[in-house]
Amino acid sequence: MAEQGVLDVTDSNFESDIIKADKPALVDFWAPWCGPCKAIAPVIKELEETYGDSIIFARFNVDTGPNTPAQYGIRAIPTVILFQNGTVVDQLVGAVPKSHLEEFVKKVL
Amino acid sequence: MPADLYDVAIIGRGPAGLQAAIHAAGKKAKVVVFGKLEKSSLYRAHVANFCCFEKVMTGKELLEGGTKQAESFGAVFIEQDIIETKSETDCFTVVTENGQTYSSRTLILTMGISRKKLRVKGEKEFVGRGVSYCVDCDANFYKGMDVAVVGNESAAVTGAITLLRYAKQVHLVCRKLTITDLLYDQLNNSDVKISRKAWVKEIIGSNEVEEVLLTTGETLKVNGIFIELGAKGAMELAANLGVVFDAETFSFIETNKWQETNIPGLYAAGDITGQPWQIAKAVGEGCVAGMEAAVYARKLADS
Ligand SMILES: Cc1cc2nc3c(=O)[nH]c(=O)nc-3n(C[C@H](O)[C@H](O)[C@H](O)COP(=O)(O)OP(=O)(O)OC[C@H]3O[C@@H](n4cnc5c(N)ncnc54)[C@H](O)[C@@H]3O)c2cc1C
Repeated sequence: MAEQGVLDVTDSNFESDIIKADKPALVDFWAPWCGPCKAIAPVIKELEETYGDSIIFARFNVDTGPNTPAQYGIRAIPTVILFQNGTVVDQLVGAVPKSHLEEFVKKVL
Repeated sequence: MPADLYDVAIIGRGPAGLQAAIHAAGKKAKVVVFGKLEKSSLYRAHVANFCCFEKVMTGKELLEGGTKQAESFGAVFIEQDIIETKSETDCFTVVTENGQTYSSRTLILTMGISRKKLRVKGEKEFVGRGVSYCVDCDANFYKGMDVAVVGNESAAVTGAITLLRYAKQVHLVCRKLTITDLLYDQLNNSDVKISRKAWVKEIIGSNEVEEVLLTTGETLKVNGIFIELGAKGAMELAANLGVVFDAETFSFIETNKWQETNIPGLYAAGDITGQPWQIAKAVGEGCVAGMEAAVYARKLADS
């Protein structure tokens, strides 16, 4: 049951909602001014509808706080990072096709 | 509502844009077309498979003919690239490489397809760790750092100028610039350091980008390199308007059989909507988009 959709996370709840989460998490680092970020947003939402039971889908607006993006060395958006037990499993940069994103998500299933 | 509002603005003057202009202007719409004839992928082609032209035609001949036809119907041509698009209530606004703003009730995207990747050693490896394809998205991550931009056209030059607001030092690597005189002057009067008759040979670093090796033998010590080949394309000009792309490749704009995108008043035609990349398809879609946009603009004007 995917009850919450794509969760908005910030510097303040990143630790509790992503790092310490009891499920793997996919975080989409984005910004409102970024075209490619807008392009992949509907795909992330679709994946959430399919895989939202077993994985947390979240997005981090890099405009809201620099700490977390800097910590993960983010220098291009969109960057999508997959976390499991608080560590980075893998990451994808740019507007990658849905099939790539789906393969990526399956790494933690 | 802007004073000199166009009914139909077309980004791109390849076969799709020209046919759209002919049909929209033929319906008495006020039409403006942006883009450069020589940048159409048809320009250097020799064409033998386009219906009704039995003798082999050069792409240049076809494009020049199409331009004359569109002009005779009243379409206006602006030989500049578009670097920004915005949607406002009941109209779209576009900004040219010279910084001029135009508004139109409808917008047709016919920018074709262009190469985005440099295909050099280190490029793939450092994506997201110094290699970027979008100045507008990523400039903010390079505050106080040294960066390079590579490209010969408006995207690279306007990108380099934008980066001056963020980075400490901006290098532009180009073979030969094809931009407007005004943009050229703006570049020459800026602090951008230009490496001319040069191209990127290799991107070097350990964990992140540290150096860019040029074909001239020169090495630039930079933290990032922005690859901005050509003019801004679909991802840069359409995605920010909320246009839906095909989910499978994220390269093409989705349209219905009236060439409408998911945004009312916004159409797309030609190579930008996907294969087959052929003139016949481009003009077919351009025709539909031009007529539909003209009708839509009329409705908006009357309401
Ligand atoms: C070598 C070659 C041979 C070919 N031979 C054939 C053939 O024999 N038969 C055939 O049917 N097809 C052929 N094609 C394919 C054909 O050229 C394309 O399908 C066709 O040109 C697509 O038209 P278009 O209008 O969609 O895009 P294009 O013709 O590529 O035009 C794109 C236009 O958009 C403009 N533009 C891009 N970005 C911007 C921007 N940011 N702002 C403003 N303007 C912008 C460009 O300046 C250009 O004017 C060939 C292609 C190549 C490369």
